[in-house]
Amino acid sequence: MEDESGRIVVSGLTKTFGPVKAVDNLSFTVEPGWVTGFLGPNGAGKTTTLRCVLGLVTPTAGGATIGGKPYAQLHNPTKTVGALLEASSFHPARTARNHLRVYCTASGIPKKRADEVLDLVGLTSAANRKVKGFSMGMRQRLGLAAALLGDPKVLVLDEPANGLDPEGIVWLRQFLKHLASGGRTILVSSHVLSEVEQTVDHVVIINNGTLIRQDRMDTLADSHGHAVLVRTPDVSRLEFSLSGEPKVEKLEKLDDGAVRITGMTAAEVGSKAFFDRIELHELRTERSRLEEIFFSLTGNGGAVEHFGAAEGGDK
Amino acid sequence: MIRLIQAEFGKLFSTKLWLWMLLGAVALTALFVSLTIGFSDQATAQGGAPPLSSSTGLKNLFSAAAAANVWSLILGIVAVTGEFRHQTITPTFLATPHRGRVVIAKLITYALAGIAYGVATILVAIAIALPWLSAKNIDVSLGSDGIPGVLLGVVASVAVYSLLGVGLGALLRNQIAAVVGALVFLLVVEPIISAVPVVRDYYKWFPGGANNALTGAFQPNVNLLQQYQGGLLLVAYGLVFAILGSWLAVRRDVT
Repeated sequence: MEDESGRIVVSGLTKTFGPVKAVDNLSFTVEPGWVTGFLGPNGAGKTTTLRCVLGLVTPTAGGATIGGKPYAQLHNPTKTVGALLEASSFHPARTARNHLRVYCTASGIPKKRADEVLDLVGLTSAANRKVKGFSMGMRQRLGLAAALLGDPKVLVLDEPANGLDPEGIVWLRQFLKHLASGGRTILVSSHVLSEVEQTVDHVVIINNGTLIRQDRMDTLADSHGHAVLVRTPDVSRLEFSLSGEPKVEKLEKLDDGAVRITGMTAAEVGSKAFFDRIELHELRTERSRLEEIFFSLTGNGGAVEHFGAAEGGDK
Repeated sequence: MIRLIQAEFGKLFSTKLWLWMLLGAVALTALFVSLTIGFSDQATAQGGAPPLSSSTGLKNLFSAAAAANVWSLILGIVAVTGEFRHQTITPTFLATPHRGRVVIAKLITYALAGIAYGVATILVAIAIALPWLSAKNIDVSLGSDGIPGVLLGVVASVAVYSLLGVGLGALLRNQIAAVVGALVFLLVVEPIISAVPVVRDYYKWFPGGANNALTGAFQPNVNLLQQYQGGLLLVAYGLVFAILGSWLAVRRDVT
């Protein structure tokens, strides 16, 4: 049964391309009304997963539903789900407006909607230009415009920041926030965490086609072990003092003179310094940045090489 | 289905390909008709071609207009393979997840476009032939001598070839492979088959043979089907390709 929520459920999804298992028994849920970041290094299986969700790729096993139904069974898919997949899926000789109008017609959407979405993404002035003259950023915008044609509750965006210049990424971030504020369900994939870090509420992290972690953004940032930042005029004594502490996982001297300690809480570090009469000028807990978690979870992108070459489709 | 066909026409008319293909079709028709008339006397004297004053000769002349079907074939091929080449197949299948419906919409659209191309080519053929033949003092009546059948056959041939193109495109997906393969088949393989005595009898079952039966082209030493049989066989080819193509389109991954 199709419900209005637009919850995306991926269950037991497996897809093999020849000898390569691109996605391996992957299950996760994208909660409606939130922005979910779908993260993983290049070749982790993100694109394949999204294409399975959208019915473009037939899973080897398992499947995915949107609002309780497989994509192909949605009553009017364009009005339910908007998708941005390749960086460029346009005929080079067709104008931006005509491209959008074709898909308005195919989906039974009034043609004037084409001009509305062009306006939304700031492409009105280029509406009558052929796509072959478009920059990468303009193509991504046009792709977003196409995804928005049916004013869908659910958006699936595959690497929308790919190929964008820094200015374009800032624009995209603001645009996603704007879309999210309308209560949409957004699933946005990326292999560069910083692109989506500020925008997403939930994260689904995969690697080698399997789920690494699914969580709320804030929970994930809390749970993964704190680091403690310390400033002291006497770094060597602090180092000596902590060298006997079995709890310390890592002690780094940062460029700005601070010391970063992983494995101990701020209270433990403070108490130890007090005991050894070490003068402290600063003692605070550093919240783990998700990027570090991302790298530690995915093995610092080590999978990129052997997987990226095998799948080949993840752009 | 109506809106899918409208969307296909929207795709067709929002690039200039249709215009170039139409110009190509018209130009090729003009060339073939001109050559047939211009060299008719030599051809009759040396090669035993039927004279233009005979009804067989006139039918052969107008059937030359069907040469335009190469262009409608390419138009049909590109209608499908172009979507894969430019990855517009992704939004197309996202908008219409029932992929077979997309193929059906394309078949209908390009059959209609093919009819328009066919009408354009016979108009060009008539516009060239009538004044030229009357200058040669050859009396032509378009309404008799089996010429209406030939003209109808030409329109049908041009239309069905674009159907054939859509089917072939859906089957192969790769634009270069489909266009080059089709041209090599039509321009190299089939002429060889029609010329080699051992296999010549089977030529009538090939698209080219069916096409010649449909358009009433003069082809000595080769057995051809009846006109309606040729037409049906061509349509059958187009549909078999299209059915196979959409059967595969439903199953193949779009990556």
